[in-house]
Amino acid sequence: METTNYHIRSYCTIRGRTIRINGSYFYTAGTTMPLGDFLKSAYRQLAIDYPKFHKMDGLCKAVFIAAELIARESGPYERNTSLIFANRSSSYLADSRHARDIFRADNPIASPATFVYTLPNIALGEISIRHQLQSENGFFIFDSYLPEFMVPYANTTLKGQQAAHAALCGWAEVTDETCDVLVYRIDHVGQWPHSVERLKRLYNEEDE
Amino acid sequence: MSELTEELKAKIIAQLNLEDVSVDDLDAQTPLFGDGLGLDSIDALELIVMLDKSYGIKLSDPKEGRKVFETIQTMADFIEANRT
Amino acid sequence: MRDEIYIVGDEVISPLGIGSELNFQRLREAHTAISPVMDAGLCDHPIHAARIDETQWTHLVCNSARYTRLERLFILTLQRLINKHNIPLDNGTLVIISTTKGNIGLLANPESTFPEGRARIPAMAEAIRDYFGLGNAPIPVSNACISGSLAISVARRLLSYDCRYQRAIVVGGDELSKFIVSGFDAFQALADGPCRPFDRDRNGLNLGEAVAAVYLSTMPAPNAVQIKGVGSFNDANHISGPSRTGEGLYLSIKEAMREAGIVTPDFISAHGTATRYNDEMEAVAFQRCGLSAIPTHSLKGYFGHTLGASGLLETAMAIHALKNNELIPSSGFAHPGTSQPLNVTTQRKVQPLHAFLKTASGFGGCNIATIFQKV
Repeated sequence: METTNYHIRSYCTIRGRTIRINGSYFYTAGTTMPLGDFLKSAYRQLAIDYPKFHKMDGLCKAVFIAAELIARESGPYERNTSLIFANRSSSYLADSRHARDIFRADNPIASPATFVYTLPNIALGEISIRHQLQSENGFFIFDSYLPEFMVPYANTTLKGQQAAHAALCGWAEVTDETCDVLVYRIDHVGQWPHSVERLKRLYNEEDE
Repeated sequence: MSELTEELKAKIIAQLNLEDVSVDDLDAQTPLFGDGLGLDSIDALELIVMLDKSYGIKLSDPKEGRKVFETIQTMADFIEANRT
Repeated sequence: MRDEIYIVGDEVISPLGIGSELNFQRLREAHTAISPVMDAGLCDHPIHAARIDETQWTHLVCNSARYTRLERLFILTLQRLINKHNIPLDNGTLVIISTTKGNIGLLANPESTFPEGRARIPAMAEAIRDYFGLGNAPIPVSNACISGSLAISVARRLLSYDCRYQRAIVVGGDELSKFIVSGFDAFQALADGPCRPFDRDRNGLNLGEAVAAVYLSTMPAPNAVQIKGVGSFNDANHISGPSRTGEGLYLSIKEAMREAGIVTPDFISAHGTATRYNDEMEAVAFQRCGLSAIPTHSLKGYFGHTLGASGLLETAMAIHALKNNELIPSSGFAHPGTSQPLNVTTQRKVQPLHAFLKTASGFGGCNIATIFQKV
């Protein structure tokens, strides 16, 4: 299963309040900065005009920024780039917000703009719209990042006739306390092999 | 009346997360949907929630909504006529 | 690489009752589980919804206090499926779980008796694994309303390329909750009566709840149905509104049919939520694929929209229809209501059936189409 001709072309990590692209710093902020402010100022660093960004929840914003940086670094995505993502807490930020809205004692009212984000795959929808990707999506929920599953599964999406020519994969765990995001682009060419071992190293990079 | 339109401008910006728009950018006559501010279907639903939450007006007929939400001015007129 | 994957069993618990055979019989008798519901725990105004009757099943599950309601429904469905087919629960069995919100009812809910951490989907997967002592950790899929159908596709892929597995259980479920009902209500997506898929006067969906499971094998068995083709493409249009040209679904159906290698399915079990936009989009996509004349139904008029269960529940029932050579009518349909014509089945009809197309679409612009064929 590790026999693969696929490579990691580019990767982006968002850890705490630091964003790196291919291992180099893109943006960093103080560790006490609230998540929303951090993602907003990271967006401003991108210097793009995409007002829909501000409607997104934290999970979507983080995935959006990572996908944007990867495209900037390694070129526009092909239309058929499959999107395979996972996390532990699903759409926790939007979930807790919606739950607070409907269970509050004083004037409980649901917000459609909040509710629409209470599904983790909306993040895939947002980058599909941004980059015009008409491709397969898959969102999985694991206790922790699981390259043992992600590598062969993503490889499979690159085979067969529907085959994506490329895949964008990610672990995107974004909650009140945690911002643990690794997004990477898989292609036939790239700097690093698309392997469990390499991904574990990239994932743990900043801990070294 | 202009107090209400100013209030609505601020509320719309906040409720719809229009971060890059300031109150001064908004004109009471600008179409909210289509070519004007370019709001979408979720924004329309959010405006319905806003009418309920902030002004106590329940609007559930989407056809009525289209007329009410044409511009900030039409919203203000409607609220003045129906607020509880 | 094993190319041929079969569905060799199924089991469901739905608002129509316990067990696939009973559910299919109720469909044949045109029973609907949708009724008026007035429950402040779900909604501050009356809605039409399909609820599972607690008296039918709660006494059938042991260790009740340790597991949430949804987990107990999963456990009961799985137990029945496992017993029916003597499914070994060792490392050769893959388990895929489909759910959109899992135990979300526990979140911020003053009436919950479980800690909030239990609302997380991995905790639910672990509880199910723990109950059965499963050899492999279940793999949860959470991808909006296509989750059930997508989970079948995931299992099929894994069985194809990973020789560690010989079989797979794909189980999906969601339950009614204030969380979900209030959200769809805020979207003005709830019908003001029983839903009317594809009908001229349709005005929204009814929510339901269910747990449904299918059993996949790499070996054919008598009465098996093969998963012949799958296609899944995003619209890239809007996060909640489907593409007006049905682009993603069109691409999905085309790919499923190309992979299946068959020209025409004998019937379509559509997503058919009965919202104005979804049903219109499906009609456009079917027309673009040359399928406007194919007998079509939505089963949501019987079960409501069961979210993470829907792809599995409706597939299971469509498989029973296929094996029975019987077209099941689309409940709630009276007048054509889409810009492109559809051949909506309004009467039960017995005729030879060999293959069907199942479609599903969801928030986030996702779509999936699957072709199933009798062996």
